[in-house]
Amino acid sequence: MRFLVVDDSSTMRRIIINTLNKLGYTECREAGNGREGLDALTANPVDIVITDWNMPEMSGVEFARAVRANDATKAVPILMVTTNAAEGDIVEALKAGVSNYVVKPFTPATIKEKIEAVLKA
Amino acid sequence: MSVPQSLLSTLVSATEEVFDTMLALPLQARPPVTGPLETPANVVATVAFAGHRRGLVVVYSSLTAARQITSSMLGIPVHEVNGEVPDAMGEIANMVAGTFRNRLAAVEPSSDISVPTVTIGTDFSTLYSSAVFRSRCPFDMQGEPLSVELILTGDQVGGLK
Repeated sequence: MRFLVVDDSSTMRRIIINTLNKLGYTECREAGNGREGLDALTANPVDIVITDWNMPEMSGVEFARAVRANDATKAVPILMVTTNAAEGDIVEALKAGVSNYVVKPFTPATIKEKIEAVLKA
Repeated sequence: MSVPQSLLSTLVSATEEVFDTMLALPLQARPPVTGPLETPANVVATVAFAGHRRGLVVVYSSLTAARQITSSMLGIPVHEVNGEVPDAMGEIANMVAGTFRNRLAAVEPSSDISVPTVTIGTDFSTLYSSAVFRSRCPFDMQGEPLSVELILTGDQVGGLK
């Protein structure tokens, strides 16, 4: 299973990748914002994208819209990991093409559950 | 001018949730206080919020505590922490402020939070030129002091209904 982790915080990228490694997912790449994420995704397809919401250059929501607008990437599941938990935020993210949503702080069990959910969908 | 107890209780529980879930570092909360820090902080991470309420959530720690936090977040030994402290402490402030905001948003109109800013150094203090309501929640983190301060300004400075 190949993952792309998109977050402007190097700390959060590392936390998520450490969590994925603990869950047995070792093929993880990373990008620092939505723009870099798009470039990475176009160059090397992955099975799941995990993205933050608030990032410079291109936010997670803009990134999700761009992924869904591209025939080559539109089917990839997108899991958003963010502190934005208001109902309106979640609706906006889902409308943009986000497949599922994790609110920080999170446990490895939550990440596992959400990955399994987006893979089943 | 101090902050209502109901808001401070929400901030304390938000902080404890972040440290328990993301760091496995238990915190021991002490009674909220107003006034200057007993021990000057070397690391100050700040996140502003605006919307229904306006203000700041500020995390103060020693450099030793910040290195412990960074070590726990990244899963690396403390002696290998090198340059990651600002980003890690910014992420801690972001999660504490975000969790606090989310809990308030469950019972009142929401607020948005800013990106974090982190100051690291010695012999500095933070002053506010306008009238603000502020209280600090001290914690003991495995013998190291850590504080989270709530600063409110504007009209919405009352407790939760």
